[in-house]
Amino acid sequence: MGRIRRLVAAVALAATATTTIAACGGDEGGDGSDAKTLKLWHYESANSAMGVAWDRAIQIFKDEHPGVEVQFERKAFEQIQQNAGMIINSSEGPDIMEYNKGNATAGLLSSQGLLTDLTDEAEKRGWGDKLSPSLQTTARYDDKGVMGSGNWYGVPNYGEFVMVYYNKDLFDKYGVTVPTTLDEMTRAMDTFVSKGVTPLAEAGAEYPAGQLFYQLALSKADRAFVDDYQLYKNPVDFKADPLKYGAETFADWVRKGYVAKDAASLKAEDMGTAFISGKAPMIVSGSWWYGRFKDEIRFNWDSFLFPGNKLHAGSSGNLWVVPANSKAKSLAYDFIDITLRPEVQALIGNNGGVPVAADASQISDPKDKKLIENFNTVSQQDGLAFYPDWPVPGYYDVLVSGFQGLINGSRTPDQVLDAIAKPYADGVKEITGK
Amino acid sequence: MAVTLTPAGSTARRPRPARDRHHRGVSRWVVLALVTLGALVMLVPFAFMLLNAFKSPGDYSTGGPLSWPSEFYTKGLRTYWSEVDFPLKLWNSTLIAGSVAVLGVVVSLLNAYALGIGRVRGRLWIVGLFLLANMLPQEALIYPLYDAAKQVGLYNTRLAVIIIFTVIQSAFGTYLLASVLSTFPRSLLEAAALDGASRWTVLWRVVFPNLRPTLAVLLIFFFIWTWNEFLIPLVMLIDNSTQTIPVALASLQGDRLMDAPTTNAGSLISLVPAILFFLIFQRTLARGITAGAEK
Repeated sequence: MGRIRRLVAAVALAATATTTIAACGGDEGGDGSDAKTLKLWHYESANSAMGVAWDRAIQIFKDEHPGVEVQFERKAFEQIQQNAGMIINSSEGPDIMEYNKGNATAGLLSSQGLLTDLTDEAEKRGWGDKLSPSLQTTARYDDKGVMGSGNWYGVPNYGEFVMVYYNKDLFDKYGVTVPTTLDEMTRAMDTFVSKGVTPLAEAGAEYPAGQLFYQLALSKADRAFVDDYQLYKNPVDFKADPLKYGAETFADWVRKGYVAKDAASLKAEDMGTAFISGKAPMIVSGSWWYGRFKDEIRFNWDSFLFPGNKLHAGSSGNLWVVPANSKAKSLAYDFIDITLRPEVQALIGNNGGVPVAADASQISDPKDKKLIENFNTVSQQDGLAFYPDWPVPGYYDVLVSGFQGLINGSRTPDQVLDAIAKPYADGVKEITGK
Repeated sequence: MAVTLTPAGSTARRPRPARDRHHRGVSRWVVLALVTLGALVMLVPFAFMLLNAFKSPGDYSTGGPLSWPSEFYTKGLRTYWSEVDFPLKLWNSTLIAGSVAVLGVVVSLLNAYALGIGRVRGRLWIVGLFLLANMLPQEALIYPLYDAAKQVGLYNTRLAVIIIFTVIQSAFGTYLLASVLSTFPRSLLEAAALDGASRWTVLWRVVFPNLRPTLAVLLIFFFIWTWNEFLIPLVMLIDNSTQTIPVALASLQGDRLMDAPTTNAGSLISLVPAILFFLIFQRTLARGITAGAEK
């Protein structure tokens, strides 16, 4: 009797399974010029600059494509970060989605053949003319998935760069003016230290410390160094300038009290709130904070480019990619094109984001305008140097532990450079095979 | 147990054992104070969550997590509720966790009946295997599971998650119940057999009623464990319409930015169903835990 029931249960389960298969195996599309839906995913929050601008882009798209339904879903960053490969390798994935730039993400998927080559569209629609060369670096990947050359696999909409945010009220209070060279910056920080104020909020437990080191190194670097470090053109000597200068200056800044020793264990969020609450006169960090600062800060504040640098940590933002399994490719191209239009780009700028192809004169708020002008300056002089943890997989943790040691004084600059040189060399060897 | 703690000294005025809870001396109050302290410590994280759930982001950033909110801010709660379509996620979570709890218990019982009472050959090995399957990290299973689900067309369906967790949970359930059942009084089974009961009847009329408290606890555990699962639902359920509450909660965490007050608000809302569930079933839980102790 038991056997019979178990059998019935098994048959029932099998039956449900087959019906689901039948339900799923429905539509298989070609390049999708006749597609009637566009499944679109991104992970920007609704009130962020990109969220607002892309809502508008979706609206424009709907107006221009009557009869096409846009199925938009806001995803969790975590979900895309962890599963993008699995998602777009199935038939359940989106037709177009936002995805992280870089070798380990977009590069990896492109080398696995999961992304559509956008080179023809980029040429036809003139995307290449709208994006400066250093922005294009993260849009193009070679057959090994290394950025910088090869086909277009993604299109960025916004940029990001590391700058100095400063508290104007504190600057006025202590009679400090905005520095334009690294020397002036040092003097400004000396003034704060002499008044008992730690000038720079830092966060050793996350990305900010590595970015400050990189920013300092870049003050002595040229484009060739960036190509060597990021694109493996030539081997990088960690014991020579600019990296040596970066680590030594960083240690110097810690010793002189520009950076607090207890910052070693702080997270980026702590650094941000230290600035928002008005305790820290300055932070060196990226434009991703800008919108939040604008919403939450009550005092006078502004930003300036890291003084004296021609090169700045920064890159294009995340990319629009079209999965190889997309069922509505031509609609996806149309949508990407809309997001690069001046109207949408200006919306990014007017909401505290950094558009890649905006006319600064279209930006109304003076502070926003300055941000975008700064970015355009950097971008046009080919000054985006990407991020220090990009070159090899897993390098982020290496840098964090290295500079934690430097901030709390347990390691000398020399030891830190040794500690970060080896994983870099190993990683590069694995990627290039040399 | 309780009797051994009774001070048997001559100071006791009456020979009556100290059943009266007001006359047990100082140590009782010390214990009570310690327990209260422990409970308060446990409640601190919840207090923080509650405090920050009603704080505006600006307030949080300037005042930090410890400050008292300057206004009663409910936008975080409302944003989370509407942006993730909370009722839908609640339904998904309930459906998945509920199905897994029931199916997992049924499968565990059937397996354990075969292993514990049926005395299948090599049952020790089989039970060991189940335990091993239960201890395997989910990260190691994720790619095979993804591939299998994709091939049978169950990827991105709640059914896939239900099947996976039914198997995972019942591995533990089988292990537990099999050891419970191996000590099941033989005389009861023999009496039933003498009365001419079939195996099925023995299971339902003899074993099941005796195991009910244990099964109830198992059911609750399966429900709560499945409710809290993150990785497998994250991988398997890619559409917003099929996702569970923990996955929805993760959508509040951005690339480089976090929104602490909204995350707190989201956690608060997400916690409520679990608390309600616990309140409803706590009696069963307590009964189940002590069920075996009275023998």
